[in-house]
Amino acid sequence: MTKMKVRGAALALALAGTAISGALSAVVAQEATFVLTARWVGAPTYNPIKATKLNTATTLIYDRLVLQDADQSFHGQLATSWETSADGKQWTFKLKPGVKFHNGEPFNAKTIEWWVPQFKGTENAFTVEAIERVEVIDDLTVRFHMKNPDPNLLSNLASSFMCIPEPKSYQALGDKFGVSEAVGTGPYKLQQFTVGQQTVLVRNDDYAWASDLSKNQGPAKFKKLTFREIAEESTAYLELKTGGADLIVAVPTDFLPRMQADKSIKVVTIPGTELVYMPINTSVEPFTDIKVREATAFAVNQAEIMKSLYGGLGEVADTFLISSLQESKVDPKYKISYDPERSKRLFDEAGWKLGPNGIRVKDGKPLQVKFWAQNGTEFKRLAEVLQAQLKAVGMQADITILDSSTINSQYRKKTDHQLAVRAYLWTNADIVDWFFSAKRLGYPNVSMFNDPEAEKLNDIAMNKSRNWDERVVNFTKYHEYVLSQYPFAPIYQPVQLFAHGKRVTMPEKIRGSGLSSQSIVDIEPVN
Amino acid sequence: MLQFAIKRLLLLVPVFLAVSLVIFLIIHLVPGDPLDHIIQVGSSPEQQAQMIARYGLDQPLIAQYLRWLGKVVTGDLGDAIVLRQPVAKLIAENLPHSLALGGLAFLFSTIIGITVGVLAASFRDSLFDRAVMGLILLGSTLPSFWLGLLMILMFAVQFEWFPVSGARSWEALVLPVLTIGIGGTALIARVTRAAMIETANRDFVRVLYAKGLPFWRIQLRHVLQHALMPVATILGLRIGWILGGAVTVEFVFARPGLGSLLITALGQRDYPLVQGCLLMLAIAVMLGTLLGDLVQAAMDPRLREVMGAR
Repeated sequence: MTKMKVRGAALALALAGTAISGALSAVVAQEATFVLTARWVGAPTYNPIKATKLNTATTLIYDRLVLQDADQSFHGQLATSWETSADGKQWTFKLKPGVKFHNGEPFNAKTIEWWVPQFKGTENAFTVEAIERVEVIDDLTVRFHMKNPDPNLLSNLASSFMCIPEPKSYQALGDKFGVSEAVGTGPYKLQQFTVGQQTVLVRNDDYAWASDLSKNQGPAKFKKLTFREIAEESTAYLELKTGGADLIVAVPTDFLPRMQADKSIKVVTIPGTELVYMPINTSVEPFTDIKVREATAFAVNQAEIMKSLYGGLGEVADTFLISSLQESKVDPKYKISYDPERSKRLFDEAGWKLGPNGIRVKDGKPLQVKFWAQNGTEFKRLAEVLQAQLKAVGMQADITILDSSTINSQYRKKTDHQLAVRAYLWTNADIVDWFFSAKRLGYPNVSMFNDPEAEKLNDIAMNKSRNWDERVVNFTKYHEYVLSQYPFAPIYQPVQLFAHGKRVTMPEKIRGSGLSSQSIVDIEPVN
Repeated sequence: MLQFAIKRLLLLVPVFLAVSLVIFLIIHLVPGDPLDHIIQVGSSPEQQAQMIARYGLDQPLIAQYLRWLGKVVTGDLGDAIVLRQPVAKLIAENLPHSLALGGLAFLFSTIIGITVGVLAASFRDSLFDRAVMGLILLGSTLPSFWLGLLMILMFAVQFEWFPVSGARSWEALVLPVLTIGIGGTALIARVTRAAMIETANRDFVRVLYAKGLPFWRIQLRHVLQHALMPVATILGLRIGWILGGAVTVEFVFARPGLGSLLITALGQRDYPLVQGCLLMLAIAVMLGTLLGDLVQAAMDPRLREVMGAR
């Protein structure tokens, strides 16, 4: 009898233990912790209208009218469809029915009518600058009347700065909106936000209006998501390794070999939105000579850099735009790919003859240039490899490392630098305007590129395109002309890297140009 | 004593003004611009000029300084340009974390430092003395950034005793407190040991031994009491360090605090926030020094006359 009692008690304990551990794993599976590293750290607010920096969590709190996929195609999120008039001066959007904000307020055409004018006077005003007024056609139809055709409107609307907040709470909270509270229509509600530290989100159980980019059309799989901001990358990696975090958004390339070797960590890659390049200061000797610029650009061995520094991951760059953009498909004759013989020949033609020490000389002056890079292991290593590649064609590049905040102000001095290493993250061809327009000499136009023909083509591309197809043609022409003048050398297009632990399963395909709401709602817990 | 305290407090006013000017000039003379962190791709040069005017960055430096100082003396530290929140609010949110971390590290280094110093002096030139002082010296010479990562690898990754980072539980405080505390322990232990040895050679101690008092009673009740004078000065100086000493450690352990805030603000050249954080740290050092002086003066009336006359 006693034995039976003991056995019974043991069985009961075992069952209770199993039940508790089952319940615990269920609890654990309900929550996940994502880590935001380096460049994603420090978003000061979740107010998309006024913010100048936002992080991944923004797209979970709010929805946008449209989303853009990795192939640059547009998909409705809060809009079901849209059309533009023949002259490009009207855009009409049909909105999804039944959408509600987190506080129960309805989302409809009146929301959009209120929302667009809110950008006036903010740093993001340029995104809606072309919209003259918003007309409510009916509860679920809205029309934008444009000052001038803006074929880039959809691209702007897909930006995370175009997330749509709830009007009443936005007005009631004033400057506190986005900090103490943030009300949107997204799959998660903001529970707690500490600037620079963490954001806690809880699931919006009513969510039923995901875009067609998501497999999951209902509420998200995790009840609670915590986004921790960890600037120190070693710490972020160790959190993932020890199970303190489930996913790292944007893994630094330096950590890739370690993560790939770690069986508890899985690395996911998707095409990047970043491009690394070497601006050439066209306003200072010897780069005022286009032959020297061309020779320098063709001395860069992109494939070798990708292999030696980035483990072969990603794509080499041979234009100024990421390869998913239509405007990157330029005539092959404009592409810039490693050609050492062409480089040497052009240097010779420009009068820079090889000296006895392997450095070229012209009129008794050696081919010695100032080469700037910002601090950070990746930039330093890249600068060193480029230095060696330039040396191979007879150019001596002296590297100066500056911190990321200092370097921009130094560029503004306009003539102190000759070569540099830089990178940008952008998914629109208008980045060519940002970095090469004569309106922004010094910084961001580090190349000091000031060319009348380029300005003419820039104006056509930026202001004269009536529709998307025309814009693509005009930007391709502008891009090709910039390439033909060699104000830079393209280097590399990194992939985007995510790393996750064993408690989560990533969707087969990450949709969009990065990890945001459309894919996060498809991330599943592993039970 | 009150007169002495007031006099010392008044002396802090010119120091405060000088410190505020130095802080302002340092951050404004360093190359860089907060606008680089808020301008958006696509914004026009005119919009950028409007932003510069909005934050008063187009004004002469002296005008900017006077405007900032005028606000500071009324208790307004202004708004952070990049983080878009009142500087005072950001500091108030982060200060408790720094105080907890720095305060516990201060307590740790004081208790361990004095204990080790007393023991090392009591067993002077023994193997124990050399081993402990050597170990502490080693600990204090390791950069806190590196020591922190070492602690994480050993106690969080290998043994899984503590979390890697964050500030979500008391366990998360252990490794950062140890990282900072070890550095402070060496200094306090060395000063305590030296003061104990010096005091032990004085005549009144010999008299106590001659009277037949037990060794530990003499060491703890008589020698230590006298030896604490220089230790109090060091502790006073380290009160200010409570806030400023954790800058890199907060970063490694991804903890909130004034250090993390300052690093973020410096990287973004967020002038009002950098100025606010540095001013807080400077005030902490000034008050710590004042407290150290007051404690010393309270312990030794002769010092009141000497320091008061200065």
